Amino acid sequence: MRITEQAKQQCRARILEKASELFCARGFDQTTTRDIALAAGVAAGTMFNYFPSKETMAMTMVSDALAAGEEEFRGRTGGELAEDLFGFIASGLRKLRPLRPFLGPVLERSLSPFPRKNVCPVGEAARQRHLDFMQQILASHGFSSAPDYVATTIYWSLYLGVLAFWTSDFSPNQEASQALVDYSVRTFVHIISGSAGGDGGEHVL
Amino acid sequence: MSCNALASDAASRERLRQLLPREEDAAARERLAELVETACSNRPPTSSLSRLWILGSLQAKVAGAYLAWWLKSRWADADEKERTRNETHLKAALELLGTMGYLRGAVMKVGQMLTLPEMVPEQYARLLSSLSFEAPPMHYAMVREVFYDEFGREPEEMFASFEKRAFAAASLGQVHRARLHSGEQVAVKIQYPGIARTIQSDLKNLRLLLQPMRVGDDWPNLLDKLAEIESVLLAETDYLKEAEVARAVRGHFPPEYGIVVPKVHDGYSSRRVLTTEHLEGVHIDEFLASDPSQEVRDHYTHLMTVATMRLLYRMHWLLADPNPGNYIFMPNGRLGLVDFGCTRVLTDEEWQLQCEAEAAAFQKDDKEMERIIVKASLYESAQEMGKKRVELVGRVIRWQLEPWLVEGLFDFGDSDFFHRGIDALREATKTGYLRGMPLHIWTTRFVLGARAVVYRLRGRCHFKEIYLQESVPPKASHADDAEKTDTRGSI
Repeated sequence: MRITEQAKQQCRARILEKASELFCARGFDQTTTRDIALAAGVAAGTMFNYFPSKETMAMTMVSDALAAGEEEFRGRTGGELAEDLFGFIASGLRKLRPLRPFLGPVLERSLSPFPRKNVCPVGEAARQRHLDFMQQILASHGFSSAPDYVATTIYWSLYLGVLAFWTSDFSPNQEASQALVDYSVRTFVHIISGSAGGDGGEHVL
Repeated sequence: MSCNALASDAASRERLRQLLPREEDAAARERLAELVETACSNRPPTSSLSRLWILGSLQAKVAGAYLAWWLKSRWADADEKERTRNETHLKAALELLGTMGYLRGAVMKVGQMLTLPEMVPEQYARLLSSLSFEAPPMHYAMVREVFYDEFGREPEEMFASFEKRAFAAASLGQVHRARLHSGEQVAVKIQYPGIARTIQSDLKNLRLLLQPMRVGDDWPNLLDKLAEIESVLLAETDYLKEAEVARAVRGHFPPEYGIVVPKVHDGYSSRRVLTTEHLEGVHIDEFLASDPSQEVRDHYTHLMTVATMRLLYRMHWLLADPNPGNYIFMPNGRLGLVDFGCTRVLTDEEWQLQCEAEAAAFQKDDKEMERIIVKASLYESAQEMGKKRVELVGRVIRWQLEPWLVEGLFDFGDSDFFHRGIDALREATKTGYLRGMPLHIWTTRFVLGARAVVYRLRGRCHFKEIYLQESVPPKASHADDAEKTDTRGSI
């Protein structure tokens, strides 16, 4: 009997839900794929049809959360460039918040800018999607040419720095991270706007 | 293609220059103006934040320490070399402050509090408070995040309308106008994210950085003062506490008194957001610009005196960080009192000492006054304290109590009176007589802050009469016999 698309989606969602619960309760490294399959009530082989690894599961959750944040932010554009970038990042972080307890090692492995043997495709796709949308925001503020690798790398470094800080930020509601996001995007905007201090000069890109 | 040009801040710079101390000689004043101007002009509101921000916390520490040191050393008998060095430190401090964004307010506050008890003239205080309000505003996206965290909703969902741009800076935050669904206009104060943690860590580091500045026996006392500042500043980051104080204060001013304390809207307030009734009116600069008559100035001086006296005698409460922005000159001669964040309630022991000082002043009991001066300065005996110190601290305390002893109309606009107090404080600072109960950070700020306002108003009032009326416990306030009170000194 062929299972329906709806049933597949339900199974996929159940695996993610149980994985998320276990990651939060035990930590990412302490949870095995076997634990997840048991909790989701599926055979291990079936589970691997959906997600080839634990890392893919976690990054799928991250990717879904970031996509939801991006969707929510789409209705709110229209501020200054720094404000829009802040809104975009903050909106993603808010959606990621339920996953925060276990995200440190996951993000470190999947989004690391260092060369790796195994690149997580879901992580790579999430990174690309995030950068594409960042470029759309820049374009809407008059940066017509695509940022070169320097600007993109600087942005990504700042973003990863924010994520790293945020995962271990114990201030109430991670408000220290909010301040860090603000300063980070202002730093980035300053860099790509040239060093003239916003005196109406040309963009350097 | 052009960037969004950042508006030139020439007007603001000019304003700063106007605020510079006029009593300095022309050359010194010009040099100071140049330093401040340079520091300010290097500080475009947005892009400057990127510079060295990574070192932000370190800058905060350094700037705070330098600023405190500079302000202290201004009063020392400095030679030319030392003056130059102090200038360099000031320049460093101002430039660093320019890169600190939201932290500026907090650091400036610490700088002010460390130095103000050992007092600087009104002009310096105004310059400092002006700088502290230069913190860049939070943009709306950040305001929205604060609302999500505090209420789970964004401002536009909570209010019928909400102005995205702040209309005023506040202690450690900013204020927006909004309208409730009931139609009522409100002021919404929103705190910068992460400011409480910054205060704690910066004060911790400031203690270390201040070590080389310590002066013998008074060092433990300076540490006590820092602890005091930290606790009051941290209390200020909890807007729920401020709401509590505001409600308590409001209870003491029925509408017929002409003193208005804005109502707190609890459903729209939290630890980091405080929503209150919006008071229509103007601040002191605009009020004075309308060239009010002496009668009107006196009227407001009367109301300010009633307000502070009532809070002091009924609640034993000090507005620890008074500034002209706390007073709103409202239509129909009413006075608005806003911002109860930075407050200090006297302990029973502290209150007792205040009462004893009043009693000694009224009875002209010099021996008793000396005992109080010694006690307040944390010495065991007058001999240990030293004759000169007793005399100088005594001058400050007697000046603070002077209006209590004058029958009839007291003129707070009297330049001689005001400057006598400033001179006494300055001399105490110059000679390094800084030891005292941590409470005195606030009493000095309270007295000087409030007197600076009525001095600018050139206002007069029947101070002693107000004292007699307000120092009576509330239940007996309509009684004829003022002597029923057991807390004030015998007259």
